Amino acid sequence: MSSRSGSARDYETRDQSHGRSASPPVPELSETETGGLIFYHMDLYGSKERFDIFPEEPSGQGDRSLGDTRRESTLSSEKVQRSQEAGYDLEKEVAELAKMYGLDEDREKELELLGGHLEAAESRRPRARTEKAGSQVSIHNASKSSSPVKDQSQSTKQQVLPGEASQDEDQSKGRAEDEAESHTWSREGLSSGSILDEWGSQAASEEEEGADVFCSTCKIPIRAFDKLFGEHKDHEVSQLPSAVESEKEEIHKNMCKLEEQIAQMENFASHLEEIFITVEENFGRQEQNFEVHYNDAVQVLAQKYEEQLEALGEEKRQKLEALYGQLVSCGEHLDTCKELTDATQELYLENDKATFMKAAVTMVDRLEEFLKKEVDLELSTLPEFEERVIDFSEVEQLMNSINTIPAPCAPVINPQAPNAATGTSLRVCWGLFSDDTVQCYQLCYKPVSNERRSDEQAEHTLQVKETYCTITNLLPNTQYEFWVSALNASGISPPSERAVYVTAPSPPIIKSKKIRSCENAALVCWESRDINPVDSYMVELSKLTDEENGDVITESIVGIPNCEVLIHLQPTQSYRICVRALNLGGSSERSEPVLIHTTGTYFCLNEDTAHPLLAILDDGFTIACDQLENPECDLPVYDNSFTRCIGILGSLIPFPGKHYWEVEVEEDTEYRIGVAFENTPRHGYLGANNSSWCMRHIITPSRHKYEFLHSGMTPDIRITVPPRRIGILLDYENCRLSLFNADIAQHLYTFNSHFQQYVHPCFALETPGILRIHSGIAIPPWTALP
Amino acid sequence: MALKQVSSNKCFEGFQKVFEHDSAELKCKMKFGIYLPPKAETAKCPVLYWLSGLTCTEQNFITKAGFHQAAAEHGLIVVAPDTSPRGCNIEGEDESWDFGTGAGFYVDATEDPWKTNYRMYSYVKDELPKLINANFPTDPERMSVFGHSMGGHGALILALKNPGKYKSVSAFAPICNPIQCQWGKKALGGYLGSDVSKWEAYDATQLVKSYPDSHLDILIDQGKDDQFLSAGQLLPDNFIAACTERKIPVVFRLQQASRFCDPSLLGFCSVIFGVHTWQAVKRVSLNGPRSH
Repeated sequence: MSSRSGSARDYETRDQSHGRSASPPVPELSETETGGLIFYHMDLYGSKERFDIFPEEPSGQGDRSLGDTRRESTLSSEKVQRSQEAGYDLEKEVAELAKMYGLDEDREKELELLGGHLEAAESRRPRARTEKAGSQVSIHNASKSSSPVKDQSQSTKQQVLPGEASQDEDQSKGRAEDEAESHTWSREGLSSGSILDEWGSQAASEEEEGADVFCSTCKIPIRAFDKLFGEHKDHEVSQLPSAVESEKEEIHKNMCKLEEQIAQMENFASHLEEIFITVEENFGRQEQNFEVHYNDAVQVLAQKYEEQLEALGEEKRQKLEALYGQLVSCGEHLDTCKELTDATQELYLENDKATFMKAAVTMVDRLEEFLKKEVDLELSTLPEFEERVIDFSEVEQLMNSINTIPAPCAPVINPQAPNAATGTSLRVCWGLFSDDTVQCYQLCYKPVSNERRSDEQAEHTLQVKETYCTITNLLPNTQYEFWVSALNASGISPPSERAVYVTAPSPPIIKSKKIRSCENAALVCWESRDINPVDSYMVELSKLTDEENGDVITESIVGIPNCEVLIHLQPTQSYRICVRALNLGGSSERSEPVLIHTTGTYFCLNEDTAHPLLAILDDGFTIACDQLENPECDLPVYDNSFTRCIGILGSLIPFPGKHYWEVEVEEDTEYRIGVAFENTPRHGYLGANNSSWCMRHIITPSRHKYEFLHSGMTPDIRITVPPRRIGILLDYENCRLSLFNADIAQHLYTFNSHFQQYVHPCFALETPGILRIHSGIAIPPWTALP
Repeated sequence: MALKQVSSNKCFEGFQKVFEHDSAELKCKMKFGIYLPPKAETAKCPVLYWLSGLTCTEQNFITKAGFHQAAAEHGLIVVAPDTSPRGCNIEGEDESWDFGTGAGFYVDATEDPWKTNYRMYSYVKDELPKLINANFPTDPERMSVFGHSMGGHGALILALKNPGKYKSVSAFAPICNPIQCQWGKKALGGYLGSDVSKWEAYDATQLVKSYPDSHLDILIDQGKDDQFLSAGQLLPDNFIAACTERKIPVVFRLQQASRFCDPSLLGFCSVIFGVHTWQAVKRVSLNGPRSH
């Protein structure tokens, strides 16, 4: 599996080479290859497993092929034997039954797999215990007899000697294998196979004798004769040439389909290639797993065996010792008997009566004493050994545990995906790049903190079945560290790498009271609700029409670094504007929307600039002054507020074009209204300097006096009707500031000035009174200047 | 009422023409200048009547006012009639510059020998507009009037005596209260007789007092150092006081100029004129001021 360039052809060559490396070259190899699809299938799925089950060593290609050779040769020889017995017409059977090969192959694989286990166990054993050859055999037999997978073929295999198998090697192995397999298959009783077979041979022979019509039912050319009398009698037939034509057409169609299928198969092949890798990896892991477990089992077995054997030897030694002791005492007894006999016989030979009698009495006493002793003829120990139970429970347990899965590998946690975060939740994903069985995952997280307060920043742990999890109840715009482990019955994997995810920010809050707009633009500002800084902001606009499509975002402005943006809009429209904050984790929810109407210029009052005696009423657009002097004189004065003139500045959108607003005044209110630069002196009066332009109304004893002040200068203008509603038109383009009596559309005065900076509306009261400011109104047509 | 074209000049994409016709009202040949803006070629345009001051003819305004650009931009037809009948051979008509020829004062004379020919009020109010509307692409509903000095007086009385007829009125240094000034006393006494009460019908300040509504706003520009202002010929304060009393909206602008808008000295400033033109446009292009 060294090269993996992905065409099907590669597989073929590779498979061929596998075939060769797995078995000695055989003359009929090419014929085997003609079985194309069938063998392709076998090789793709079968060869590796067949060859690589339980390699002795990871790189033991030679050993493996040797083992295979041996196994295959036993197989083939077995099959040869069997085929001889059966006496089939093998060649035809091969062709027909090849289709069923896969099925058969699978079965065979299974058998081999089981056989292989035993073989592997067998072959590994000598390394473990080389000194006791005898005992090895007995264990082998024991395990064999306890094996539930033992079947006929297995036993057959056992009967064949390696020597015999090697003699068969030069025979046509591939074919023999097929034949044997087909034989096996037919043996298993798919009787239809044999019917097919018969039919196949018949059809072939008929074709040879010159067919002239085509049987559409059976899809074969037949002789006309058969139509009349043969089995095709009732079948639909057609003349052979026309049948050929239609068949060619059919073939052409099928060719196209085939081409499609080729493309499909090529795709599939490249997919298969990936599967190959996976299979390899999975195999390696399983192999390792098995090796570990079987080694354990073998060790346990060996240990048990040794223990048992030791106990047995001990028993034997004790028995022998006991017997020997008995034998010794028996000999001693015999010696005593002999001695006594000798002494007695000596006594008979004594002629002296007295001496005889003297000696005889002693002798009799001795004999009596001796004979009093019972002769113990009982065996002190039995030749039978204790019955010993061979306990396989532990081994069985071990064997069973081989089937259980290994503890999984560490999962791989994914980096944060776009849009995986909300302000309070994160969707964390991970993957497992092995084929491990996993019951669940253990996901841990904690907030990332710069400070080392690990005990306060408690870790959270979750059990998750899926490879993703959405964690909720998190803090917005906060970094969290995640890691994950996989769990199954065998244990827990090491944890994954730690991945840092960040929650989306909180939605910002639009400062709706600070919105400024005009016909062509809006200046929107907002504040972030997060402590941590966000990356940027995004503004979403939807133009509201009469139709209900206000939710359609017509425009988005992204990448706004600050909490303020100037948006270009179309006149006389209504817009709904929302802001989102963005960070790496994604975007926040939308802020509360604000509505902006581009009917006219809309501004708000800048409270910071208000003179302490000036009050802004609740509507935000009415300013009032109750008294000119404060008795307490201790009113707070802010840096930016007017100190002398009881005035206030508005915040006008800094945008060129025309801006119009109106001020409602009482007839006797004394006021200054106009525009001023933002930095107009706070200690001076509006209109008294060159940074402000305003209309002033004062009441003299004789009349209402109107001044149009800039730099302290005013033209002499008399107005017969005191305006109650003053229209102010600021026209940057034409460098004008015009004032009108809006009630009667009367032009009062126009300042002509090139405003060097953007200006703001300004309002001031000279005597106690009220000014009502109206903004957001359309520019009246009568303000159009020449 | 045949019109005879006297001259025609291309001017700001429009035409400045002078026509002569026989006036039924004045019983003489009269000339008037008319500016036709480019817009007049395709649409009906509002008409602005310009009434000149003492000693002037239709030519003064045409050659010196420099109004053409503003009129062209706003699509205004500007008509400038003469200031009195010409060539009527009335005894004493050419004796002084402030009475008779060139000083018709926009009244209908009731005294002999003037009452036959000196009917400038009716001429400007009725005959001329009919003639203009009949011969040029005008919108009869939209007409305004403005003038200078004696013409300012004419503009004011025409507007005040005919509520709703003129959409706007403005004046440069108008004679606001002729019954109180030397010019007015001479002219009104000459044309109307010694009964001062008859004069009041041609006095703007008097007319304001009986003006029925305020659907008219009046713009008056006045040179600050105008010798006639200080000589008490113009008396704008009287007019303003009357307007204030009657709540007639007036913007009176006292400008930094010696003899502001002196036609003989080419005093017209196009910006100032532009404002007046705009005043006219504003009015003619709207139905009227906001009702309240």
